[in-house]
Amino acid sequence: MSVAIPVEKKKTAARIEWHAGGNKRLNGVQARLTGKARSPAVALEKPFNTGNSDEPMPPAPAIEKTPSAGEKRQVSFAQMLVFELRVRDAMTSPPITAIATDSLRSIQHLMKAHRISGVPILANDVLVGIISIEDIINALDACHINEPVEPWMSRKIVTLRDHFSLVRAVAEFDRHGYGRFPVLDANNRLVGVITRGDITICLMHQLERRAEEAVAKEAALVATRAADEKAHRIVINTDVKSGDFESAGKLSQRIREVLRARGVAPEILRRAAIIAYEAETNIIIHSLGGRITTAIDAIKVRIKAADRGPGIENIDLAMQEGWSTAGPLARELGFGAGMGLPNIKRCADEFVIQSELGGGTRLQAAVFLHKAETRL
Amino acid sequence: MKLKSVSKLPALLTVVEARPLTDLDEVELSGCYISDLLSDVLANAQPGVLWVTIHTHRNVVSVASMKDISAVLFTCGRKPEAAIIAEAAEKGIMLLSTPLTTYETAGKLWKAGLR
Repeated sequence: MSVAIPVEKKKTAARIEWHAGGNKRLNGVQARLTGKARSPAVALEKPFNTGNSDEPMPPAPAIEKTPSAGEKRQVSFAQMLVFELRVRDAMTSPPITAIATDSLRSIQHLMKAHRISGVPILANDVLVGIISIEDIINALDACHINEPVEPWMSRKIVTLRDHFSLVRAVAEFDRHGYGRFPVLDANNRLVGVITRGDITICLMHQLERRAEEAVAKEAALVATRAADEKAHRIVINTDVKSGDFESAGKLSQRIREVLRARGVAPEILRRAAIIAYEAETNIIIHSLGGRITTAIDAIKVRIKAADRGPGIENIDLAMQEGWSTAGPLARELGFGAGMGLPNIKRCADEFVIQSELGGGTRLQAAVFLHKAETRL
Repeated sequence: MKLKSVSKLPALLTVVEARPLTDLDEVELSGCYISDLLSDVLANAQPGVLWVTIHTHRNVVSVASMKDISAVLFTCGRKPEAAIIAEAAEKGIMLLSTPLTTYETAGKLWKAGLR
Protein backbone atom coordinates (compact mmCIF):
# COMPACT_ATOMS: atom_id res chain seq x y z
CA MET A 1 0.00 0.00 0.00
CA SER A 2 1.25 3.40 -0.83
CA VAL A 3 1.27 6.41 1.44
CA ALA A 4 0.56 8.53 -1.56
CA ILE A 5 -3.15 7.84 -1.62
CA PRO A 6 -4.29 9.28 1.70
CA VAL A 7 -2.06 12.30 1.28
CA GLU A 8 -3.34 12.97 -2.21
CA LYS A 9 -6.92 12.52 -1.06
CA LYS A 10 -6.51 14.99 1.71
CA LYS A 11 -5.15 17.59 -0.67
CA THR A 12 -7.89 17.03 -3.21
CA ALA A 13 -10.50 17.45 -0.52
CA ALA A 14 -9.07 20.79 0.45
CA ARG A 15 -9.05 21.99 -3.13
CA ILE A 16 -12.60 20.90 -3.84
CA GLU A 17 -13.81 22.82 -0.85
CA TRP A 18 -12.18 25.88 -2.27
CA HIS A 19 -13.42 25.49 -5.84
CA ALA A 20 -16.96 24.89 -4.68
CA GLY A 21 -17.57 28.63 -4.45
CA GLY A 22 -16.22 29.49 -7.84
CA ASN A 23 -14.73 28.22 -10.98
CA LYS A 24 -16.22 25.23 -12.75
CA ARG A 25 -14.26 25.74 -15.95
CA LEU A 26 -11.11 25.15 -14.00
CA ASN A 27 -11.48 21.40 -13.73
CA GLY A 28 -11.74 21.07 -17.48
CA VAL A 29 -8.60 23.09 -17.99
CA GLN A 30 -6.74 21.01 -15.52
CA ALA A 31 -7.81 17.72 -17.03
CA ARG A 32 -6.37 18.72 -20.37
CA LEU A 33 -3.42 20.59 -19.06
CA THR A 34 -0.14 19.78 -20.73
CA GLY A 35 1.76 23.02 -20.49
CA LYS A 36 -0.77 24.91 -22.56
CA ALA A 37 -0.57 28.57 -23.33
CA ARG A 38 -3.21 29.52 -20.83
CA SER A 39 -1.98 29.18 -17.31
CA PRO A 40 -4.34 27.60 -14.84
CA ALA A 41 -3.04 30.10 -12.33
CA VAL A 42 -4.90 32.82 -14.18
CA ALA A 43 -8.17 31.02 -13.82
CA LEU A 44 -7.42 30.16 -10.25
CA GLU A 45 -7.08 33.80 -9.48
CA LYS A 46 -10.82 34.19 -9.97
CA PRO A 47 -12.26 32.88 -6.73
CA PHE A 48 -10.42 35.65 -4.91
CA ASN A 49 -12.24 38.26 -6.90
CA THR A 50 -15.75 37.05 -6.35
CA GLY A 51 -17.85 39.04 -3.95
CA ASN A 52 -16.21 42.20 -2.66
CA SER A 53 -14.31 44.52 -4.92
CA ASP A 54 -10.68 44.26 -3.96
CA GLU A 55 -9.90 43.16 -0.46
CA PRO A 56 -12.67 41.28 1.25
CA MET A 57 -11.79 41.42 4.90
CA PRO A 58 -10.84 37.91 5.85
CA PRO A 59 -11.25 36.87 9.43
CA ALA A 60 -8.26 38.34 11.23
CA PRO A 61 -6.43 36.22 13.76
CA ALA A 62 -8.41 36.25 16.98
CA ILE A 63 -5.60 37.82 18.99
CA GLU A 64 -5.81 40.96 16.90
CA LYS A 65 -9.51 41.30 17.41
CA THR A 66 -9.62 41.08 21.15
CA PRO A 67 -6.48 42.64 22.58
CA SER A 68 -6.36 42.98 26.34
CA ALA A 69 -6.42 46.55 27.53
CA GLY A 70 -2.74 46.63 28.36
CA GLU A 71 -1.61 45.32 24.98
CA LYS A 72 -3.94 47.42 22.96
CA ARG A 73 -1.45 49.88 21.56
CA GLN A 74 1.13 47.31 20.60
CA VAL A 75 -1.38 45.05 18.91
CA SER A 76 -2.90 47.85 16.92
CA PHE A 77 0.58 48.80 15.75
CA ALA A 78 1.27 45.23 14.57
CA GLN A 79 -2.17 45.22 13.02
CA MET A 80 -1.35 48.44 11.24
CA LEU A 81 1.81 46.89 9.82
CA VAL A 82 -0.02 43.80 8.62
CA PHE A 83 -2.49 45.98 6.76
CA GLU A 84 0.13 48.33 5.45
CA LEU A 85 2.57 45.74 4.15
CA ARG A 86 1.97 43.94 0.89
CA VAL A 87 2.74 40.43 -0.23
CA ARG A 88 5.49 41.85 -2.46
CA ASP A 89 7.21 43.24 0.64
CA ALA A 90 7.49 39.83 2.27
CA MET A 91 7.81 37.31 -0.58
CA THR A 92 11.02 35.65 -1.70
CA SER A 93 11.83 37.12 -5.07
CA PRO A 94 12.92 36.05 -7.58
CA PRO A 95 11.49 32.63 -6.76
CA ILE A 96 13.44 29.38 -7.07
CA THR A 97 11.66 27.56 -9.90
CA ALA A 98 12.04 24.42 -11.97
CA ILE A 99 10.66 23.44 -15.36
CA ALA A 100 8.22 20.66 -16.05
CA THR A 101 10.85 18.40 -17.62
CA ASP A 102 13.25 18.58 -14.66
CA SER A 103 13.66 15.35 -12.76
CA LEU A 104 12.28 14.95 -9.29
CA ARG A 105 15.81 14.21 -8.12
CA SER A 106 17.13 17.53 -9.41
CA ILE A 107 14.26 19.32 -7.67
CA GLN A 108 15.03 17.48 -4.48
CA HIS A 109 18.59 18.80 -4.73
CA LEU A 110 17.28 22.26 -5.46
CA MET A 111 15.15 22.17 -2.32
CA LYS A 112 18.07 20.96 -0.27
CA ALA A 113 20.41 23.62 -1.64
CA HIS A 114 17.98 26.46 -0.97
CA ARG A 115 16.40 24.98 2.15
CA ILE A 116 12.91 25.27 0.72
CA SER A 117 10.04 22.80 0.81
CA GLY A 118 8.17 23.70 -2.36
CA VAL A 119 9.05 24.74 -5.90
CA PRO A 120 6.80 26.31 -8.56
CA ILE A 121 7.07 24.56 -11.95
CA LEU A 122 7.15 26.61 -15.14
CA ALA A 123 6.53 25.67 -18.74
CA ASN A 124 7.36 28.39 -21.27
CA ASP A 125 7.61 30.88 -18.40
CA VAL A 126 4.05 30.15 -17.36
CA LEU A 127 3.25 28.71 -13.96
CA VAL A 128 1.82 25.21 -14.51
CA GLY A 129 2.27 23.49 -11.19
CA ILE A 130 3.91 23.33 -7.82
CA ILE A 131 5.78 20.50 -6.20
CA SER A 132 6.19 20.08 -2.48
CA ILE A 133 8.57 17.98 -0.47
CA GLU A 134 5.62 15.68 0.27
CA ASP A 135 5.11 15.05 -3.45
CA ILE A 136 8.78 14.17 -3.75
CA ILE A 137 8.61 11.77 -0.81
CA ASN A 138 5.61 10.13 -2.45
CA ALA A 139 7.54 9.74 -5.71
CA LEU A 140 10.57 8.42 -3.90
CA ASP A 141 8.40 5.93 -2.09
CA ALA A 142 7.08 4.70 -5.42
CA CYS A 143 10.61 4.60 -6.94
CA HIS A 144 9.97 7.42 -9.43
CA ILE A 145 12.54 9.84 -8.14
CA ASN A 146 14.49 10.05 -11.40
CA GLU A 147 11.46 10.77 -13.54
CA PRO A 148 10.37 14.23 -14.76
CA VAL A 149 8.38 16.28 -12.30
CA GLU A 150 5.34 16.84 -14.47
CA PRO A 151 3.12 13.88 -13.52
CA TRP A 152 3.90 14.35 -9.83
CA MET A 153 3.36 18.03 -9.37
CA SER A 154 0.12 19.58 -8.14
CA ARG A 155 -1.62 21.43 -10.91
CA LYS A 156 -4.30 23.04 -8.84
CA ILE A 157 -2.42 26.07 -7.73
CA VAL A 158 -3.71 28.74 -5.44
CA THR A 159 -1.84 31.95 -6.06
CA LEU A 160 -1.68 35.32 -4.36
CA ARG A 161 -1.25 38.68 -6.05
CA ASP A 162 1.78 40.74 -5.14
CA HIS A 163 -0.42 43.70 -4.13
CA PHE A 164 -2.45 41.76 -1.56
CA SER A 165 -2.05 42.91 2.02
CA LEU A 166 -0.25 40.60 4.42
CA VAL A 167 -3.36 40.32 6.54
CA ARG A 168 -5.08 38.79 3.53
CA ALA A 169 -2.11 36.53 2.91
CA VAL A 170 -2.30 35.28 6.51
CA ALA A 171 -6.00 34.59 6.05
CA GLU A 172 -5.30 32.62 2.85
CA PHE A 173 -2.73 30.50 4.68
CA ASP A 174 -5.35 29.80 7.34
CA ARG A 175 -8.00 29.01 4.77
CA HIS A 176 -6.00 26.64 2.54
CA GLY A 177 -3.48 25.16 4.92
CA TYR A 178 -0.71 25.33 2.32
CA GLY A 179 2.89 25.95 3.26
CA ARG A 180 3.51 28.45 0.47
CA PHE A 181 1.82 30.40 -2.28
CA PRO A 182 3.26 31.37 -5.66
CA VAL A 183 2.85 35.12 -6.13
CA LEU A 184 1.76 36.65 -9.45
CA ASP A 185 2.00 40.25 -10.54
CA ALA A 186 -0.65 42.15 -12.49
CA ASN A 187 0.58 40.55 -15.74
CA ASN A 188 0.20 37.04 -14.31
CA ARG A 189 3.94 36.64 -14.17
CA LEU A 190 5.34 34.56 -11.34
CA VAL A 191 7.30 37.08 -9.27
CA GLY A 192 7.84 35.29 -5.98
CA VAL A 193 6.90 32.72 -3.41
CA ILE A 194 5.59 33.52 0.03
CA THR A 195 5.54 31.39 3.19
CA ARG A 196 4.32 32.12 6.71
CA GLY A 197 7.97 32.38 7.68
CA ASP A 198 8.47 35.15 5.10
CA ILE A 199 5.61 37.09 6.67
CA THR A 200 7.03 36.70 10.17
CA ILE A 201 10.49 37.82 9.03
CA CYS A 202 9.06 40.77 7.15
CA LEU A 203 7.10 41.89 10.20
CA MET A 204 10.14 41.50 12.43
CA HIS A 205 12.23 43.60 10.04
CA GLN A 206 9.58 46.26 9.90
CA LEU A 207 9.21 46.37 13.67
CA GLU A 208 12.97 46.59 14.00
CA ARG A 209 13.13 49.42 11.48
CA ARG A 210 10.35 51.33 13.20
CA ALA A 211 12.05 50.82 16.53
CA GLU A 212 15.31 52.17 15.11
CA GLU A 213 13.47 55.15 13.67
CA ALA A 214 11.83 55.82 17.02
CA VAL A 215 15.18 55.63 18.81
CA ALA A 216 16.78 58.01 16.27
CA LYS A 217 13.89 60.43 16.62
CA GLU A 218 14.15 60.39 20.38
CA ALA A 219 17.91 60.94 20.22
CA ALA A 220 17.36 63.95 17.97
CA LEU A 221 14.76 65.28 20.38
CA VAL A 222 17.10 64.86 23.34
CA ALA A 223 19.86 66.68 21.41
CA THR A 224 17.50 69.58 20.62
CA ARG A 225 16.44 69.75 24.25
CA ALA A 226 20.06 69.80 25.40
CA ALA A 227 20.84 72.64 22.98
CA ASP A 228 17.74 74.51 24.16
CA GLU A 229 18.73 74.08 27.76
CA LYS A 230 22.19 75.40 27.05
CA ALA A 231 20.71 78.51 25.46
CA HIS A 232 18.09 78.75 28.25
CA ARG A 233 15.57 78.25 25.53
CA ILE A 234 12.08 76.97 26.06
CA VAL A 235 9.89 76.17 23.08
CA ILE A 236 6.16 75.85 23.59
CA ASN A 237 4.08 74.50 20.73
CA THR A 238 0.38 75.15 21.09
CA ASP A 239 -2.23 73.85 18.68
CA VAL A 240 -5.17 76.23 18.58
CA LYS A 241 -8.60 75.05 17.51
CA SER A 242 -11.07 77.20 15.68
CA GLY A 243 -13.88 78.37 17.98
CA ASP A 244 -12.24 77.03 21.14
CA PHE A 245 -12.88 80.08 23.34
CA GLU A 246 -12.66 77.96 26.48
CA SER A 247 -8.95 77.28 26.01
CA ALA A 248 -7.96 80.86 25.28
CA GLY A 249 -5.45 82.24 27.72
CA LYS A 250 -3.68 79.05 28.74
CA LEU A 251 -0.66 79.76 26.58
CA SER A 252 -0.21 83.32 27.81
CA GLN A 253 -0.60 82.05 31.37
CA ARG A 254 2.25 79.63 30.73
CA ILE A 255 4.42 82.33 29.14
CA ARG A 256 3.88 84.59 32.14
CA GLU A 257 4.83 81.79 34.52
CA VAL A 258 8.07 81.09 32.65
CA LEU A 259 9.01 84.76 32.40
CA ARG A 260 8.11 85.50 35.99
CA ALA A 261 10.33 82.63 37.13
CA ARG A 262 13.14 84.22 35.15
CA GLY A 263 12.66 87.54 36.87
CA VAL A 264 11.43 89.42 33.80
CA ALA A 265 9.87 92.81 34.57
CA PRO A 266 6.06 92.69 34.88
CA GLU A 267 5.28 95.10 32.05
CA ILE A 268 7.53 93.17 29.69
CA LEU A 269 6.02 89.82 30.50
CA ARG A 270 2.60 91.40 30.22
CA ARG A 271 3.38 92.51 26.68
CA ALA A 272 4.48 89.00 25.72
CA ALA A 273 1.33 87.54 27.30
CA ILE A 274 -0.93 89.98 25.47
CA ILE A 275 0.69 89.14 22.13
CA ALA A 276 0.20 85.43 22.76
CA TYR A 277 -3.40 85.97 23.88
CA GLU A 278 -4.37 88.16 20.95
CA ALA A 279 -2.66 85.81 18.48
CA GLU A 280 -4.44 82.87 20.06
CA THR A 281 -7.87 84.50 20.05
CA ASN A 282 -7.33 85.63 16.46
CA ILE A 283 -6.84 82.01 15.44
CA ILE A 284 -9.86 80.93 17.51
CA ILE A 285 -12.15 83.63 16.11
CA HIS A 286 -11.05 84.01 12.52
CA SER A 287 -9.24 80.94 11.29
CA LEU A 288 -9.80 77.26 10.65
CA GLY A 289 -7.23 76.48 13.31
CA GLY A 290 -3.50 76.87 13.64
CA ARG A 291 -0.46 76.66 15.79
CA ILE A 292 1.51 79.04 17.96
CA THR A 293 5.18 78.41 18.57
CA THR A 294 6.64 80.36 21.43
CA ALA A 295 10.40 80.37 21.90
CA ILE A 296 11.77 81.95 25.02
CA ASP A 297 15.50 82.41 25.45
CA ALA A 298 17.69 84.68 27.54
CA ILE A 299 17.20 87.63 25.20
CA LYS A 300 13.67 87.57 23.91
CA VAL A 301 10.32 85.90 23.55
CA ARG A 302 9.48 85.06 19.97
CA ILE A 303 5.89 84.18 19.17
CA LYS A 304 5.05 82.72 15.78
CA ALA A 305 1.40 82.12 14.95
CA ALA A 306 0.41 80.34 11.78
CA ASP A 307 -3.12 79.38 10.81
CA ARG A 308 -4.70 77.40 8.01
CA GLY A 309 -6.72 80.20 6.56
CA PRO A 310 -8.93 81.69 5.25
CA GLY A 311 -6.44 84.56 5.31
CA ILE A 312 -6.86 88.31 5.64
CA GLU A 313 -8.21 90.15 2.63
CA ASN A 314 -6.75 93.53 3.54
CA ILE A 315 -3.96 93.61 6.11
CA ASP A 316 -3.87 97.40 6.24
CA LEU A 317 -7.54 97.44 7.21
CA ALA A 318 -7.01 94.65 9.74
CA MET A 319 -4.23 96.64 11.33
CA GLN A 320 -6.59 99.59 11.84
CA GLU A 321 -8.00 99.88 15.31
CA GLY A 322 -11.72 99.17 15.45
CA TRP A 323 -11.92 97.25 12.18
CA SER A 324 -13.12 93.71 12.78
CA THR A 325 -14.69 90.81 10.91
CA ALA A 326 -15.49 88.85 14.06
CA GLY A 327 -18.81 87.01 14.10
CA PRO A 328 -21.67 87.50 16.57
CA LEU A 329 -20.55 84.74 18.96
CA ALA A 330 -17.08 86.23 19.30
CA ARG A 331 -18.57 89.69 19.84
CA GLU A 332 -20.95 88.35 22.45
CA LEU A 333 -17.95 87.09 24.37
CA GLY A 334 -16.24 90.44 24.27
CA PHE A 335 -14.01 89.85 21.28
CA GLY A 336 -14.13 91.59 17.94
CA ALA A 337 -13.08 95.00 19.20
CA GLY A 338 -10.89 95.29 16.15
CA MET A 339 -7.94 95.76 18.44
CA GLY A 340 -6.22 92.39 18.28
CA LEU A 341 -3.59 93.05 15.63
CA PRO A 342 -3.00 96.68 16.69
CA ASN A 343 -2.52 95.42 20.26
CA ILE A 344 0.02 92.85 19.10
CA LYS A 345 1.88 95.46 17.12
CA ARG A 346 1.89 97.87 20.02
CA CYS A 347 3.19 95.25 22.45
CA ALA A 348 5.87 93.85 20.14
CA ASP A 349 9.43 95.05 19.68
CA GLU A 350 9.44 93.26 16.34
CA PHE A 351 6.35 92.49 14.33
CA VAL A 352 5.75 90.90 10.93
CA ILE A 353 2.47 89.70 9.45
CA GLN A 354 1.86 87.94 6.17
CA SER A 355 -1.46 86.79 4.85
CA GLU A 356 -3.09 85.77 1.67
CA LEU A 357 -6.80 85.38 1.06
CA GLY A 358 -7.48 81.69 0.61
CA GLY A 359 -4.17 80.85 2.28
CA GLY A 360 -3.13 81.15 5.88
CA THR A 361 -1.96 84.00 8.05
CA ARG A 362 1.51 84.00 9.60
CA LEU A 363 2.41 86.37 12.30
CA GLN A 364 5.69 86.76 14.07
CA ALA A 365 6.29 89.01 17.03
CA ALA A 366 9.18 89.37 19.44
CA VAL A 367 9.55 91.01 22.82
CA PHE A 368 13.00 91.74 24.22
CA LEU A 369 13.20 90.75 27.83
CA HIS A 370 15.61 93.28 29.19
CA LYS A 371 14.70 96.49 27.53
CA ALA A 372 14.57 99.51 29.84
CA GLU A 373 11.70 101.03 27.89
CA THR A 374 8.23 100.50 29.32
CA ARG A 375 5.34 100.47 26.97
CA LEU A 376 2.25 99.44 28.88
CA MET B 1 -7.59 108.90 44.56
CA LYS B 2 -8.97 111.42 46.93
CA LEU B 3 -10.71 109.19 49.38
CA LYS B 4 -8.44 106.34 50.35
CA SER B 5 -11.25 104.59 52.19
CA VAL B 6 -13.23 103.64 49.06
CA SER B 7 -10.22 102.49 47.10
CA LYS B 8 -10.12 99.49 49.38
CA LEU B 9 -12.28 96.67 48.18
CA PRO B 10 -14.56 95.82 51.09
CA ALA B 11 -15.51 99.47 51.42
CA LEU B 12 -16.63 99.54 47.80
CA LEU B 13 -19.15 96.81 48.40
CA THR B 14 -21.57 99.05 50.19
CA VAL B 15 -21.15 101.89 47.67
CA VAL B 16 -22.38 99.83 44.74
CA GLU B 17 -24.49 97.30 46.67
CA ALA B 18 -22.16 94.53 45.50
CA ARG B 19 -21.95 90.98 46.67
CA PRO B 20 -18.56 89.27 46.80
CA LEU B 21 -18.31 86.04 44.74
CA THR B 22 -14.85 85.16 46.02
CA ASP B 23 -13.06 85.84 49.28
CA LEU B 24 -12.03 89.47 49.47
CA ASP B 25 -8.68 90.78 50.55
CA GLU B 26 -7.93 94.25 51.77
CA VAL B 27 -6.63 95.49 48.42
CA GLU B 28 -5.72 99.01 47.39
CA LEU B 29 -7.18 99.68 43.93
CA SER B 30 -5.22 101.90 41.59
CA GLY B 31 -8.32 103.06 39.75
CA CYS B 32 -11.15 101.72 37.66
CA TYR B 33 -11.59 100.65 34.05
CA ILE B 34 -14.89 99.97 32.37
CA SER B 35 -15.06 98.03 29.13
CA ASP B 36 -16.76 95.05 27.61
CA LEU B 37 -14.13 94.59 24.94
CA LEU B 38 -11.34 92.31 26.01
CA SER B 39 -8.77 93.72 23.62
CA ASP B 40 -9.57 97.19 24.83
CA VAL B 41 -8.87 96.11 28.40
CA LEU B 42 -5.65 94.45 27.29
CA ALA B 43 -4.61 97.63 25.52
CA ASN B 44 -5.71 100.32 27.91
CA ALA B 45 -6.41 99.13 31.44
CA GLN B 46 -3.75 99.80 34.05
CA PRO B 47 -2.61 97.03 36.38
CA GLY B 48 -4.29 96.96 39.76
CA VAL B 49 -7.57 98.56 38.71
CA LEU B 50 -11.12 97.48 39.38
CA TRP B 51 -12.54 96.23 36.08
CA VAL B 52 -16.24 96.74 35.58
CA THR B 53 -17.90 94.65 32.88
CA ILE B 54 -21.05 92.75 31.96
CA HIS B 55 -19.06 89.81 30.58
CA THR B 56 -18.92 86.71 32.73
CA HIS B 57 -17.06 84.42 30.37
CA ARG B 58 -13.85 82.64 31.35
CA ASN B 59 -11.87 84.99 29.11
CA VAL B 60 -12.54 87.82 31.55
CA VAL B 61 -10.50 85.94 34.15
CA SER B 62 -7.70 85.31 31.62
CA VAL B 63 -7.56 88.96 30.63
CA ALA B 64 -7.71 90.18 34.22
CA SER B 65 -4.93 87.81 35.16
CA MET B 66 -2.81 88.97 32.22
CA LYS B 67 -3.19 92.62 33.15
CA ASP B 68 -2.71 92.01 36.89
CA ILE B 69 -6.19 93.32 37.51
CA SER B 70 -7.03 92.37 41.05
CA ALA B 71 -10.80 92.72 41.04
CA VAL B 72 -13.63 92.39 38.54
CA LEU B 73 -17.09 93.78 39.19
CA PHE B 74 -19.96 92.34 37.13
CA THR B 75 -22.92 94.67 36.68
CA CYS B 76 -26.64 94.10 36.10
CA GLY B 77 -26.56 91.26 38.62
CA ARG B 78 -24.52 88.99 36.38
CA LYS B 79 -22.53 86.12 37.82
CA PRO B 80 -20.10 83.73 36.14
CA GLU B 81 -20.36 79.96 36.48
CA ALA B 82 -18.98 78.34 39.60
CA ALA B 83 -16.00 76.89 37.69
CA ILE B 84 -14.98 80.34 36.51
CA ILE B 85 -15.32 81.78 40.02
CA ALA B 86 -13.08 78.97 41.28
CA GLU B 87 -10.55 79.69 38.53
CA ALA B 88 -10.48 83.37 39.46
CA ALA B 89 -10.01 82.52 43.14
CA GLU B 90 -7.12 80.27 42.20
CA LYS B 91 -5.49 83.08 40.26
CA GLY B 92 -6.02 85.55 43.09
CA ILE B 93 -8.59 87.62 41.24
CA MET B 94 -11.50 88.84 43.30
CA LEU B 95 -14.95 88.80 41.75
CA LEU B 96 -17.96 90.88 42.75
CA SER B 97 -21.45 91.31 41.39
CA THR B 98 -23.76 94.32 41.62
CA PRO B 99 -27.42 94.62 40.63
CA LEU B 100 -26.73 98.18 39.36
CA THR B 101 -26.18 98.99 35.70
CA THR B 102 -22.71 99.83 34.47
CA TYR B 103 -23.63 103.51 34.25
CA GLU B 104 -24.99 103.65 37.81
CA THR B 105 -21.97 101.74 39.03
CA ALA B 106 -19.57 104.12 37.31
CA GLY B 107 -21.35 107.15 38.76
CA LYS B 108 -21.35 105.82 42.31
CA LEU B 109 -17.72 104.75 42.18
CA TRP B 110 -16.64 108.10 40.79
CA LYS B 111 -18.66 109.93 43.39
CA ALA B 112 -17.19 107.83 46.16
CA GLY B 113 -13.72 108.87 45.05
CA LEU B 114 -12.37 105.94 43.06
CA ARG B 115 -10.64 107.76 40.25
